[in-house]
Amino acid sequence: MPTRSSPIKYRPTVWDALIAAAIIALGLLAAVLFYTKNARGGSAIVTVSVAGEVAERAALSQFDGDHVYTGNGYTLTVSAHDGEIFVSHSDCGGQDCVHTGAISRIGQSIVCLPAQIVIRLESASPGDADVIVG
Amino acid sequence: MNGAMKISAKNIALCGVLSALALGLSVLESFFPLSLLIPLPGVKLGLANIVTLFALYTLGARPALAIWLTRCVLGSLFAGNASAFLFSLLGGLASMGVMIALRRWDRFSVFGVSLGGAAAHNIGQIAAAAVVLNSTAVIGYLPVLLFISLVTGALTGLLVSLLLRAAAHLSLR
Repeated sequence: MPTRSSPIKYRPTVWDALIAAAIIALGLLAAVLFYTKNARGGSAIVTVSVAGEVAERAALSQFDGDHVYTGNGYTLTVSAHDGEIFVSHSDCGGQDCVHTGAISRIGQSIVCLPAQIVIRLESASPGDADVIVG
Repeated sequence: MNGAMKISAKNIALCGVLSALALGLSVLESFFPLSLLIPLPGVKLGLANIVTLFALYTLGARPALAIWLTRCVLGSLFAGNASAFLFSLLGGLASMGVMIALRRWDRFSVFGVSLGGAAAHNIGQIAAAAVVLNSTAVIGYLPVLLFISLVTGALTGLLVSLLLRAAAHLSLR
């Protein structure tokens, strides 16, 4: 194998900077692609999906109160009030979903990987149109 | 690829020691997860990758793969989370592939290989999560994860660079 003979480069090279630049560019691209589509405005729709299936879909304004979902053996309590939605309790190990805190803007989401539950705020406008004219 | 591969007792012992070290580091890391500071799924320091990267440079691609796989399987057995295993397996596969390729290419330093591996790990995990959850919502995490991977990747690169220099006089192969 040729790796055996290639000497080790201990110090950063220009090529390393290229990798860093590529990672930054990829991050920015993902951010632009993902967040420009989800501009603010309109009333948000809450979509809760469990293992890829939509379990509940409702206007955020009508979602107030506690909702309990189970997925993959884990139980999540999703609470909503005053236009904010958050996971108030989860019996999963990581607690990432609880630590994510409250979301309130279109495009934001809370993901619980162990329970395979995604809570997403989507635009109320029909379809996935970026701009609606007329 | 010729299948001829000499496995000496010394190499097996080294792989065992490094696997144990990687496993220890990943368990240690679970006691103070970075996700407490930055609460996003998939955020972690990746301490165990120090060992994998060190092995890639000192022992070669195949032993590094073996050490990574051992740590991945045993680590998720200890953590007892099957879905986490899938994510770390796919993230790790992407990471190992990129690191081995960048090391072969011979233009990048330890830092570049580490950065590429860290970013690939996140991309692999996000891709796995998008498929499992059947939702593109997780792609929203990618910019933040990639930014964090720049920091953790550089840190891992620095540590491995120092380790390799310190171990340069040892004939580990």
